[in-house]
Amino acid sequence: MTAEKLDTLQAVELAEGVEIRLRVAGPMLRAGAYALDLLIRFGVIIVASIALSLLGIAIGQRLVTGVMLLGWFLMEWFYPVLFEAGKRGATPGKRILGLRVVQATGSPITFGQAVVRNFLRWVDGMPFFTYGFGMASCLATRRFQRLGDLAAGTVVIYEHAAPTPILAAPPPIIPVPLPVGLSADETRALVRFRERAGLWSAARREEIADQAMALSGASGAPGVSRLMAMAHWVQDKKHAAGAGGRNGEQSNTPVTRR
Amino acid sequence: MTVGDFEDKNKQRWEEYQRLVDGMEKGKPGPEAGQLPRRFRELCVDLSLAEFRMYGERLTERLNAQVIRGYEMLYQKRRASWEKLAEFVAVRFPQTVRREWRLFWLCNAVFWLPFFAVMLSASYEIQWVQSILGADGMASMDQMYGGKEDQIAHLREEYGSNFMMFCHYIRNNVGIDFRTFAGGMAAGLGTLFFLLFNGIYMGAAAGYVNHAGNPESFWTFVSGHAPYELLGMVVAGMAGMRLGLALLHPGRLPRVRALAEAAKQALPLILGAALLTTLAAVVEGFWSAQLLPSGLKYGVGIAGWVLVTAYFTLAGRRVGHAP
Repeated sequence: MTAEKLDTLQAVELAEGVEIRLRVAGPMLRAGAYALDLLIRFGVIIVASIALSLLGIAIGQRLVTGVMLLGWFLMEWFYPVLFEAGKRGATPGKRILGLRVVQATGSPITFGQAVVRNFLRWVDGMPFFTYGFGMASCLATRRFQRLGDLAAGTVVIYEHAAPTPILAAPPPIIPVPLPVGLSADETRALVRFRERAGLWSAARREEIADQAMALSGASGAPGVSRLMAMAHWVQDKKHAAGAGGRNGEQSNTPVTRR
Repeated sequence: MTVGDFEDKNKQRWEEYQRLVDGMEKGKPGPEAGQLPRRFRELCVDLSLAEFRMYGERLTERLNAQVIRGYEMLYQKRRASWEKLAEFVAVRFPQTVRREWRLFWLCNAVFWLPFFAVMLSASYEIQWVQSILGADGMASMDQMYGGKEDQIAHLREEYGSNFMMFCHYIRNNVGIDFRTFAGGMAAGLGTLFFLLFNGIYMGAAAGYVNHAGNPESFWTFVSGHAPYELLGMVVAGMAGMRLGLALLHPGRLPRVRALAEAAKQALPLILGAALLTTLAAVVEGFWSAQLLPSGLKYGVGIAGWVLVTAYFTLAGRRVGHAP
């Protein structure tokens, strides 16, 4: 497991021994989803009231008022519960914005969790329906959890995370073996550098590569190409000779990465 | 093995897996859906390998997304069923209330002590009650329970009134239950406020009618639904206090963990409270305002108290403890 980073990617280890990464959604997007849900609910209520008041002429105004009160109650408390406990794990508003509610372990939430997180919404909405408490809690927790999320043990994630743009610079012809053993994290950083290098200007690439001068043994453009060559060696050559067991990664076995 | 080799070698298995998951997501699992767990585990190993061999983010992100999809399908929770609801009502809910007996008596005390104190204060000094109810409150009590004739029943004469009031009670009273529960997040203060406020206000209403209205029309009206409604409120208070106490006294757990554990324990309480209050709304909507002999209505009220007492003390005793 890598060290805690300042990132919205949350690593979760499954019973199957693999680590999955969930991208947690921030408060702004969730506020948008909430606003959409409000609009949808108001729309439904308005349409239903018009239809019911026409019906009321036939079956009596009081019956209709009762149905409306009941509908209002269900919309207020159970609209998010039923949708989130359902198969998609999201209210219509969240679905439109590509969000989903899951347990902190990544599995779908239970009915009970949907109840807890949505009944406590009333507290998150305080003071005066500004969502001040919910926002404060979101900003104070690593996984953007409002109070209801904390109590229910849930997080809101992107259902389909937008892929990180990868623009690798053209690979160098000759791979260069790593001169020293690197830790798994260091090697990963090297590979990421290569994968993202195409996104940066040459000057920025050199600036970053200069941080690893100890490894590349050169500054500026030669340093960059040397790092690229090493990354190329790591990705394409290393395992041709047999999996793992090199470069300070002895403790890593493919199935249980720890 | 390069990235390309790895992808070529496993392509067929990944496509197979994707077909299985697609079918599951559409709710139409094919005949070979039973293979999903095995395919899922294989994919997990592939993801681990890809991460370990640093095949790059393009591949690992793709596999990651596929693993998440399968995980969500495999670890779906069982849907709610009538059987589960019956088991909840017959066993789990009364067991949870018995297990939380301390909170039960605490919340009862917070509600009933002010209730009786305020109600009885009316016979010594009516001004307390008057200032609690205010002019509007007193006017509406006069309107409902003021005179000798059966005003409540007259208010319900129009067709559909009973149903409308039933819906009103659901929305209002169950909503109060849920807010009482949520108020527990303020270290229990919100919950205590709701219980105290309701105790004082209802006590004032009862005291005022005893003093200045027609007590019989009041007590015959409330006796039928009082057992379920008031206990529903108390149980909602227990759920809120469970949350509040977890924040105040987390014990050996970190506060957030303690809160999550408490929420699990409070869940049957708040759901049960909602059921009790719904039952109360049925009684209040369709029974309480009927024009029937007072003796019968008091009898039903007493039977209700006996029933809930028996329910909370006896139901689910023979079955093992709730998990």
